[in-house]
Amino acid sequence: MEIGLRLAVSLAQIAAVMGVVMLTVMILTLAERKVLGWMQDRMGPMEVGPYGVLQPIADGLKLFFKEDIIPAGANKFLFTLAPILALVPAMIGFAVIPFGPTMTIELFGMQVKPFVISDINIGILYILAFASIGAYGIILGGWSSNSKYSLLGGLRSAAQVISYELNVGLAIVGVILLSGSLSLVKITEAQAGGFWNWFIIAMPFPQIFAFVVYVISSVAETNRVPFDLPEAESELVAGFFTEYSGMRFAFFFIAEYANMILVSCVAAALFLGGWNAPYPGTILGHLGLDALAWIENVVWFAAKVYFFLFLFFWLRATLPRLRYDQLMRFGWKVMLPIALGNIVLTAIAAYFFPR
Amino acid sequence: MNVAITAQPKRKPSFSDWLKTLTFYELLVGMKATLKHLLNYKPITLQYPHEKRLLPENYRGMLALLRYDDGTEKCVGCDLCEAACPSRVIRVVSGEVPGEPTKRYSKEYYMDMTRCLFCGLCVDACPVDALGMTREFEWAVYDKRQLHLNKQQLLAIGDRAYPVREKRLELQHPNVAFFNVTFKHLPQKEN
Repeated sequence: MEIGLRLAVSLAQIAAVMGVVMLTVMILTLAERKVLGWMQDRMGPMEVGPYGVLQPIADGLKLFFKEDIIPAGANKFLFTLAPILALVPAMIGFAVIPFGPTMTIELFGMQVKPFVISDINIGILYILAFASIGAYGIILGGWSSNSKYSLLGGLRSAAQVISYELNVGLAIVGVILLSGSLSLVKITEAQAGGFWNWFIIAMPFPQIFAFVVYVISSVAETNRVPFDLPEAESELVAGFFTEYSGMRFAFFFIAEYANMILVSCVAAALFLGGWNAPYPGTILGHLGLDALAWIENVVWFAAKVYFFLFLFFWLRATLPRLRYDQLMRFGWKVMLPIALGNIVLTAIAAYFFPR
Repeated sequence: MNVAITAQPKRKPSFSDWLKTLTFYELLVGMKATLKHLLNYKPITLQYPHEKRLLPENYRGMLALLRYDDGTEKCVGCDLCEAACPSRVIRVVSGEVPGEPTKRYSKEYYMDMTRCLFCGLCVDACPVDALGMTREFEWAVYDKRQLHLNKQQLLAIGDRAYPVREKRLELQHPNVAFFNVTFKHLPQKEN
């Protein structure tokens, strides 16, 4: 009985988070096309609904009813597995993201943390591990399609993910050194009390370089412009999902956007204080409405995440694609030394000026 | 031929170059440009099926055959348009008007609009202004054979595009002799 109730509450939490993430993905597909259009003096989608706001629904319906083609000569098992392997890790990472303040509420006689599905003590490691599995979806999808474009896209993705996954991991180490924990909840709590405590500028050693490395690497990791070599549409048709259609294609599509949201959430939680407001406490809390203070925290978290998502669109509207050797040289010769140097300096600073 | 290829002397990067690289200066310039377009958002596109561009005065659109105000065809079957056409769009089958041997007309008149490049040379070549260019351009079809137009179709296009018609030539200028015009007081040639 007890465990059944616990399971039901957890499932409800998971459903809520999944719903919010899926809704955000829907908004993102429209927002990206709109923002990109506005930046290029166009209007973006305008046909479905007023100002095209129902476009995501039309797209979803279209993809749902499209014929699902498995190309001749494709490895059927891996071809089916790949989209799932891409989508599930992108979704599963949200389990450890704290969306709001750490508090416990009493529900049916048990303690429930409403804003984080599971506060595991290796949260950030868990996200990194699953992000790496997500790369398998892309690589296997590229390989199993039996198409040269897909294969090239998959291979590029493999090389790119290996290069940039490393930088993401090393950029995060500085933050972990300062906060002394791998749990995203604890890392966020360590940044409470105003923007000067956020790890991007926090004493003893501001993580600004780590932040830049993380943002650039996360753009590369999510295969977005200017690092969209795995799906370079002017070179490889559509890269690793050239042969995919219908819902399988939609899975890759959703996975890409879910990954964007995930890396934005992690960036917000690690470097920009997560759900902490840039001033000590919360305005609603100071006004005596402590019960509603979580609204302000959640809004701040959403604002930070949406800032990063806007940055993704902004970069896409501005930058051309990198050449492959440039991508590799930048990853290994520029980003990696910066990330390593940041770890050394942060370690020294954290040793002499412990928080 | 010995041309010594000398390497371009490499400019020593100055401090400001170094600083620009470090702060992603060029990148920020580009980001500023796109943000400026986002903030002063003025779309230059038109929502085509709902709003249409104003066509220029001398727009050369779909070709059409014209009629006089009494409903008779202007075309005299002289084949000059066929000769003038650079893409061999037009095919005219000329013939005498039954009962009026001095007068000719086009028995059949075909235009293969898939080849037309809308140069307007046929319109210039026509001695009786029987061809006109309309302002129609929405001629996308599912079957390209629908663009192979016959005389009736071309006349229909002319009817809807040119509601105001000319008088017959002999009525416009009563004292001038005309090509392809029969005069009632002259004896008719026997068939």
